[in-house]
Amino acid sequence: MFGTERWKAVRLALGGDRLAAASAGFLLALAVLAVAGPLATRYTYDAQDLDALFRTPGAAHWFGTDQFGRDSFTRIVYGARVSLSVGFAAVACESLLGMTWGTVAGYYGGAVDNALMRVVDLLIGFPTILLAILVTGIFGPSLTNIVIALVLTAWPGTARTIRSEVVAIRERDYVDGARALGATTPRILARHLVPNVVHLLIVRATLDVSTLVLAEATLSFIGIGVQPPHPSWGQMIYESFQYLDGHPLLLVFPAAALSVTVIAFNVVGEFLSRVLDPRYAGRH
Amino acid sequence: MVRYVVYRLAMAVPLFVGAALLIFVAGHLAPGDPVQTLLGDRYTPAAAAVLRHQLGLDRPLAAQFVDYLGQLATLRFGTSYVNPGLRVGDLLRAALPISLRLATLAVAVAAALGTLLGVVAATVPGRPLDRLIQFGVVLGLSVPSFVTAAALVYLFALQFRLLPVAGWGHPSDYVLPVVVLAVAPLAFITRIARSSVGQVLLEDYVRTARSKGLRTPRVLFRHVLRNAALPVVTTIGMAFGTAIVGAFVVEVVFNVPGIARVAVNAIFQRDYTVLQATVLVYTALFSFVNLAVDVSYAYLNPRVRY
Repeated sequence: MFGTERWKAVRLALGGDRLAAASAGFLLALAVLAVAGPLATRYTYDAQDLDALFRTPGAAHWFGTDQFGRDSFTRIVYGARVSLSVGFAAVACESLLGMTWGTVAGYYGGAVDNALMRVVDLLIGFPTILLAILVTGIFGPSLTNIVIALVLTAWPGTARTIRSEVVAIRERDYVDGARALGATTPRILARHLVPNVVHLLIVRATLDVSTLVLAEATLSFIGIGVQPPHPSWGQMIYESFQYLDGHPLLLVFPAAALSVTVIAFNVVGEFLSRVLDPRYAGRH
Repeated sequence: MVRYVVYRLAMAVPLFVGAALLIFVAGHLAPGDPVQTLLGDRYTPAAAAVLRHQLGLDRPLAAQFVDYLGQLATLRFGTSYVNPGLRVGDLLRAALPISLRLATLAVAVAAALGTLLGVVAATVPGRPLDRLIQFGVVLGLSVPSFVTAAALVYLFALQFRLLPVAGWGHPSDYVLPVVVLAVAPLAFITRIARSSVGQVLLEDYVRTARSKGLRTPRVLFRHVLRNAALPVVTTIGMAFGTAIVGAFVVEVVFNVPGIARVAVNAIFQRDYTVLQATVLVYTALFSFVNLAVDVSYAYLNPRVRY
């Protein structure tokens, strides 16, 4: 569905773009660390050590310890686990929903398109944080509810992007040709339309991970996201606010982890949007 | 023009009813029974039935929803779910002006400074100053607002002790919240202003104005800014929306008794009536901002006429 040729082009281009390569490398390392979790550290995220409060970074605690003597590095690793799994789960669901919605609306056009896209218009004007607050506020801040809230806010954008591309593609000769040869609608959608918009979906999804990871951190920061004792970067930043006077390092590590992750996803997304653009082919 | 405004106002009605429906349904799906909560220790099945009838909670959901809409239309938000002595309307009346003042100040700062930085960057394209401003824009758009807040609190409140950390009452309490709130709008107003002015600078009439000997400030004010203003004005309108949303983080960090704070407290206390009212207020604010942006666009752009 997504030719090896294309991936080869991506790999080649990555060699020429150091910032994108570094960002991709960082995200890969972060993902490995998040999956390895317990193997990466000899502490647990909630083990308190009251003899070692507010330790500065050293050999025993790479990033120091917090107000309960918990190891900051461990909490950041587990925080990455939460952030990345919430981000990826939400992006997977919203991409699927947005892709289906946008493809159907764009392909059928007319009244179907109109009805489907009015729903998108209605939701797109609604700010992310507000929908998230409504969902987590009423149903409680569990991980599932956070993911649902994030999916609700992100899919209309994807649907709109995909629809506009499908509208352009469905008039192409090869789609007419397939129809003339008697291909059924599902076959046309699956074989001719979806493969030609999937590059947009990949770009959009990468940029959306960045937005959604930030949204989860914001919710957790406000206190309506991931609940203690489960660590999340947003929540760690909120907790360390109280100790800013005297222990500013406590805040620096989670803030850096969050900011670098968000920026890295953006850089990779921008890079992919350049390289995966069909017009880019042959220009490396 | 009048027809367009009327049309847009009419379009806002279904959005609002839709939001009210969503909130109403969500409130009913929410775990917990309001009657049980209200009665507390005095709960008996008989007393519950009486109270349920008094509150109208035994009527069909559709009828309850129509009632609810009627109450909203007359701005009656009822009393707090957790604290029945507290009227939701009073709560909103106290909190809303604070949030609006914060957002307005932040947008004013962002608009003035953003336009200035954008124009400056556009007049020296590719130079170090332009690159510095562009770098600032990327930073402003990608660093989360609570990280900016932490950095500013650390520098100005804790290191140099110039400003209060958190608290409310003194005018200086406004400084840090407004600055934090202004960062994101500032970044994208600067970006739009730079690209818009940059485009106009390439126009033939600008070259003509220059070649007839006009000084740079005069070219900028007479020929460039007027023609570059449209996207900037629209962006400033949208910035207001960003500032209203940004208030969630800012009001939590700086303990500002605004509407976002009310919403967050309502979530913690599971105070559904207050939560519903705040979400509706936000929906109304957003509909209004979007309306204002579109109408001002239609008004300012001579090529758009309805």
